[in-house]
Amino acid sequence: MKICIACGMPMQEAAEFACGDTGKDYCVHCARPDGSMQSFEEKKAGMIQFIIKTQGFDKKAAAQMAESSMKKLPAWKEYFV
Amino acid sequence: MQSKRQLQKESTRKKIIEAAYKVYAGQGFTAPTAAIAKEAGVSHGTIFVHFSSLEELQCYLIQDFGNTLGLEIHCLAETGSNTEELLKAHLNALAKHENFYIRLIAEKSLLPEDTQMAFANIQSIMAYHFSKVIEREGQNQAIKNIPLHLMFNTWMGLLHYYLLNKDFFSPDQPLLLRYGPELIGTFAELIKK
Ligand SMILES: [Zn+2]
Repeated sequence: MKICIACGMPMQEAAEFACGDTGKDYCVHCARPDGSMQSFEEKKAGMIQFIIKTQGFDKKAAAQMAESSMKKLPAWKEYFV
Repeated sequence: MQSKRQLQKESTRKKIIEAAYKVYAGQGFTAPTAAIAKEAGVSHGTIFVHFSSLEELQCYLIQDFGNTLGLEIHCLAETGSNTEELLKAHLNALAKHENFYIRLIAEKSLLPEDTQMAFANIQSIMAYHFSKVIEREGQNQAIKNIPLHLMFNTWMGLLHYYLLNKDFFSPDQPLLLRYGPELIGTFAELIKK
């Protein structure tokens, strides 16, 4: 099974891939409307917003969580050297 | 191809990991590494051939636990269509490692910060699936108009309260097996319109 390189989500169904294209390495949530992959800043902001919306955490804590999960993902390696 | 020696090394590593799960589930995260070595049937030093430090072993374990849990919830959530089915999937995944999970939530602050973050991100996976199902059901007007995060936190609060008080609720048998259906049914009733 493929894992999204930008957020870590497992991708099985075509609908879970960016543009429904199973050849892509990133998922539908990590794609921009034009199908390209979101930037580091876009993804981080999106993750923070999502954590606040779904779990109600403090903004600073949410940012820490977003960074810690991005640190482990292949798409963002260069941002953590 | 792997040599015989590599295979043996891999199997020892597996033994240590399984032993660590068992020891931490039973004694908590302050258990000495000597107890893990004894359970795995290896010498104390062998543990540190495979993991450079105690911290590394604990971090690996929680990430491994998180990956398995995340994958199970993901696969089950995709097939489940309503809140009850998702919550059932959540509890089924947790039930397999109930005691380990209880130790994890009870002793979170004892763990290294990286490990705590890894654990927080496991909960985010559940929050993601939860929000998807709730939003879908909300569109069908089937669910009360409560902020998403409070709905999720209410579920987690209820679940963790029971788990953290397992000694009172279910001292002699697995808690989720005993109370799971009741917790799910009650929560679903609470959020239904
Ligand atoms: Zn993604």
